[in-house]
Amino acid sequence: MTVRVENLKIAYRTLAGDVCPVDDVSFSVGDGEIMGLAGESGCGKSTLGTSLIRLETRMAVLGGKVELDGVELPIDDDRAMRRYRMKEISLVPQYAMSALNPTRKIRRLAADLLRCHGVGYGEIADELRRRLDLVGLDAGVLDRYPFELSGGMRQRVTLVLSTLLNPSLLIADEVTSALDVSTQRAVGELMMEFRDRRFVKSMIAITHDLSILAQIADSILVMYAGRLAEKAGSDTIVNSPLHPYTQLLLASLPAVGVRHDDTTLVGIPGRPPPLSNPPAGCRFADRCPFAYARCKEQPPFTEVRPGHQVACWKVAEEVQAA
Amino acid sequence: MSDSLIDAPAGSGAEQSAVAASLTPIGAGAAGLASPHVVRRGGEFVHYAVRNPKLLFGLALEALFVLGAIIGPIISPHNATDLFRSYLHPSAQHWLGTNNIGNDLFAQLVYGLRDSYLVGALGALCASAIGMALGFIAGYRGGWLDEVLQMVTNIMVMIPSLVLLIVIGAYLTTRGVLFEGVFIGLTTWPWVARAVRAQTFTLRSRDFVDLARLSGKRPAAIVVRDIAPNMASYLFLVVVLLFGSSMLLAASYDFLGLGPTNGISLGTMMNQAMLWSALQLHTWWWFVAPGVVLTGMVVALLIANVGLDEVFNPKLRSQ
Repeated sequence: MTVRVENLKIAYRTLAGDVCPVDDVSFSVGDGEIMGLAGESGCGKSTLGTSLIRLETRMAVLGGKVELDGVELPIDDDRAMRRYRMKEISLVPQYAMSALNPTRKIRRLAADLLRCHGVGYGEIADELRRRLDLVGLDAGVLDRYPFELSGGMRQRVTLVLSTLLNPSLLIADEVTSALDVSTQRAVGELMMEFRDRRFVKSMIAITHDLSILAQIADSILVMYAGRLAEKAGSDTIVNSPLHPYTQLLLASLPAVGVRHDDTTLVGIPGRPPPLSNPPAGCRFADRCPFAYARCKEQPPFTEVRPGHQVACWKVAEEVQAA
Repeated sequence: MSDSLIDAPAGSGAEQSAVAASLTPIGAGAAGLASPHVVRRGGEFVHYAVRNPKLLFGLALEALFVLGAIIGPIISPHNATDLFRSYLHPSAQHWLGTNNIGNDLFAQLVYGLRDSYLVGALGALCASAIGMALGFIAGYRGGWLDEVLQMVTNIMVMIPSLVLLIVIGAYLTTRGVLFEGVFIGLTTWPWVARAVRAQTFTLRSRDFVDLARLSGKRPAAIVVRDIAPNMASYLFLVVVLLFGSSMLLAASYDFLGLGPTNGISLGTMMNQAMLWSALQLHTWWWFVAPGVVLTGMVVALLIANVGLDEVFNPKLRSQ
């Protein structure tokens, strides 16, 4: 197991009280695994992703622990985390296109980043050139300023730079969201390539786009309102999801070959509950068509089948009955 | 170029080669356009700098005064403290005449020029060093440290420097040029600190700064390598502006009699001219030269500053 997260609880400290977008979350990502983290906006997936690498000052860890390669990460200690960043755990941000300092050439940018981890640029220059070549960039980009590159080129440069020190875990936060569909596919394949070449040991791909996850992820973790809803292999999630939320989420996606002239795509009625004052029990109960009395209690996130975890009373009952 | 292309008729080999020759510069131009990375940022600044009349005029004028400060004392036939007959008109012997006690005014002017530049440089250096350091720390760290530093800054702004100088003058009866420079630096930094803090505030939330943090860069490295370069043009302008205003401030202190007690400066020259009623005695050569030179020095810097602003800020470029 490369990454093991146990009962992690992250809160945003506000004057109105703590808001917990990550509430009692446990999961693990294996060696060489790409885990997709899916959910709608505001469900806490980005907070979970960034909390593994850097807590903002207004964020606080209320409990739980994170282990990387068997070592517990001091995620609530900004200073102590510094040496893990980029070296052990790295993040490709949502804004990868604007993530490069406009006043520095790519070469100096890379040298700066490497120097703060005690690595000389010379030691890694050949590898950097090879990797740029791999993502289809000429070594000439090293002598360019970021604003001389296109958005896609900048994103690939960011991807190469953030994986340059072969981190154990790469968190890809919505990297495909701002791209057109064909480029999305290319970036997805690039990330699989990086995994296959062992540039990164394992990866957490955060997105609200289940179709890209179906393509690149080995397993998918679905979050809802700060809690885990379902985790299974990506084929299982896509073809036979158990949690009502996952089912409705998939039903709201357009399918290939289906014309929507006479069939309307169904959405999920209602909105996610406010995280500042979440309801007791199952947080999806208000929008769930299967909700019943027991949903007033919080369902445990349990393994209902091998490698398939779900947090739903109904599913647990049905699987037991079957 | 386009004319020659249209005019050149296609036909014999000789004419074709003429067409080819006229095509070459167009081709070269197209290549230059196709690869914009040929023009580097530094090159871009130089490109606009050498074409900016304000900057060139200001720098040329300033260079003239600097040259005067450097070689003036060397070519001056007299020392600033040599005594001759008093109230001599400007002549071949005394280029700018002499004052009431018979000091050569040209010698006083060129030595004073040196001191004025020294005060300006020292004031600008102190003010920008302190202002930038505190501005970067307050802006990048934020939180309670920012509050404390802001409070210190505001207190410093509120202290009237003239009164402070008078109080210090009461205790420190001999004050040198160095003291004046440092004093000016220590009283003008709050303006720099405020501006730098505000700029740092907007830059620290930029995406590339965030990624630098996520990559494990230290705060000091982030400020020096990611934040400061993005406001480099502003910092540069601040230093130039401080340089000019320090000289002006020094001159006004000197004119009020709060300047260096040992040594001569443009301000003290004008101060003495006023004390000895130069205007009423029609000894115009006593105060006109230092006044013109001082105005020229500061105006040249300000004009160069406007030019520099146009060079650094793409929105102000006329072409």
